[in-house]
Amino acid sequence: MHAIEAISLEKRFGTIQALAGISFSVEEGETFGFLGPNGAGKTTTIRILTGTTEPTGGSGRIFGRDVVREKIPARREIGIVHETSNIYTDLSAWENLMFTARLYNVGKRERESRALDLLSVLGLTGRKDDKTKGFSKGMKRRLTIAMGLINKPHLLFLDEPTSGLDVQSNLIIRDVIQRLTREGVTIFLTTHNIEEANILCDRVAIINRGRIAAIDTPERLKKTIQSVQSIEVAFDLPGAVRAEDLAGIDQVTGVRKMGDKVRLITGDPPAVIEGVMDYARRANLRIISINTRGPSLEDVFIRLTGLDEKGGGGTP
Amino acid sequence: MRIVSEYWREVCTGFSAAWAIARKDILIYYLKPNIIVSGMLFPLFMFLAFAVGRPADPATMVPGLIAITILFSSSSIEPVSIPLERRTKTFERLLSAPISLHMVVLGESMSGFLYACCIALVPLAAGMVLFKAPVSDLPALAAGIVLLSFCFATMGTLFAAYPTESPGDIMSMLNLVRLPLIFVSGVFVPIGEVPFPGQVIAYLSPLTYGNDLVQAGFGKATHFHPLLDIAALCIAIGAFQSLANRLYRTFNE
Ligand SMILES: Nc1ncnc2c1ncn2[C@@H]1O[C@H](COP(=O)(O)OP(=O)(O)OP(=O)(O)O)[C@@H](O)[C@H]1O
Ligand SMILES: [Mg+2]
Repeated sequence: MHAIEAISLEKRFGTIQALAGISFSVEEGETFGFLGPNGAGKTTTIRILTGTTEPTGGSGRIFGRDVVREKIPARREIGIVHETSNIYTDLSAWENLMFTARLYNVGKRERESRALDLLSVLGLTGRKDDKTKGFSKGMKRRLTIAMGLINKPHLLFLDEPTSGLDVQSNLIIRDVIQRLTREGVTIFLTTHNIEEANILCDRVAIINRGRIAAIDTPERLKKTIQSVQSIEVAFDLPGAVRAEDLAGIDQVTGVRKMGDKVRLITGDPPAVIEGVMDYARRANLRIISINTRGPSLEDVFIRLTGLDEKGGGGTP
Repeated sequence: MRIVSEYWREVCTGFSAAWAIARKDILIYYLKPNIIVSGMLFPLFMFLAFAVGRPADPATMVPGLIAITILFSSSSIEPVSIPLERRTKTFERLLSAPISLHMVVLGESMSGFLYACCIALVPLAAGMVLFKAPVSDLPALAAGIVLLSFCFATMGTLFAAYPTESPGDIMSMLNLVRLPLIFVSGVFVPIGEVPFPGQVIAYLSPLTYGNDLVQAGFGKATHFHPLLDIAALCIAIGAFQSLANRLYRTFNE
């Protein structure tokens, strides 16, 4: 049985087509990433799969239960961390957790021990009885995650869990996600953050304008675009480097200046390294460092979402 | 048999979740200043506006005071709390919880209901102690207070279905309905003296039947049989509940 199954999900808001028939499935225990720009349809997908809104076409299943017809049993299995940290700021962290637990019908003893546990894992123990009005953004986010876990879900939906947070909150949250994965919890997370998807996810779907552009493991997605490997070179006199000359090197398909380094895009890194050496000799420059880089998930993302066609990135 | 016990379990968890929602509203909203103003002070001033300068014995006005106090206090929580929770997105939490929408509506109404039941004790006590208004039919009075509170609390939840994030929008729509009801429902002006189109509205207004029950509680002449009042209020509650359920579903895109 799949943890999640989406079959041609479609959602229209008036004339806006938010989802144009997306299909995918997530296996039990998998961490599945939904990577896409603003307005791609990530939140809409979560809202449909959690039964908060109904699809205008297609269907969805959570552990085999239809998200429209068997909404309530399906929801019992899941935890949801909404995009906005929706906590009650007039209540304390503890009261927020207790309320959520009651809503999910978690018994008294269980909810109390679980809440203490979650507060400690998410670094909020010291603020347990404080009103959450004064919490920082990161603390609110962590409490929202604790609330999403209070019913011990088998499947957790995380809508941009770490967006806009500092390093410390980020690390705590990633740690919690990895711990859940070890416990066998299935995770569906949306993000704009490519690195996060790369680190956390077993598989990633790239979604753009309501359509899925690709679904695969991060590594295999990168392999699909081997032609965008690159070489990063730093010269001793960055000011004297002429991008046109570098672009003229055989096999170079693009040049990007990145701080004091230059990035040369190519399908054949060894040949280009030779060319760069020749160029440095001719121009009387010394190479300080030279690195080859494989395609990043970002490159895949840019390629698949068509962002590079809009003239971004400075590729000639 | 298993299906029955499964169903029963669902009903029980539904009610306990509804109570959790009501409890949360009690903790958060009962002491908010704007709710105190609209729930307690508004009916008091309304009453004074009618009572001052009238020759009538204040005791005869006690049932009417109780009825309008309930009208205002019961429908003063959800029209504030729900739009605010839409704004902070906490309402989305309720909509995505493993409970039916009916239980969300019920839970929301429950906080207004309990609020009104408590506030109604103030004019009741004042009436009995200060004005020596005698209670002659306690069951009718209790039924009146309870059903009227529940009915208008559900009406408050119904109005709050309108998808806005601003309480003012809902309050102004609500007042458009609440204020005229006071005039036609026999609270201060007997139904028989209300001009014709008003009388039609009076027969449709739950306040008419609730007020009638409270009047019966104080041994006043009534318009309908108390059982008819009770039936009418129950029908109104059912209608508001199912309409609210439908609207929340429709507006929740
Ligand atoms: N309730 C709604 N009413 C009308 N349009 C909506 C509604 N919710 C979403 N949309 C539209 O559907 C599209 C997808 O929105 P969605 O919120 O799913 O995007 P997203 O991928 O989550 O974006 P973000 O990264 O900004 O959160 C957008 O064009 C949005 O304007
Ligand atoms: Mg979103």
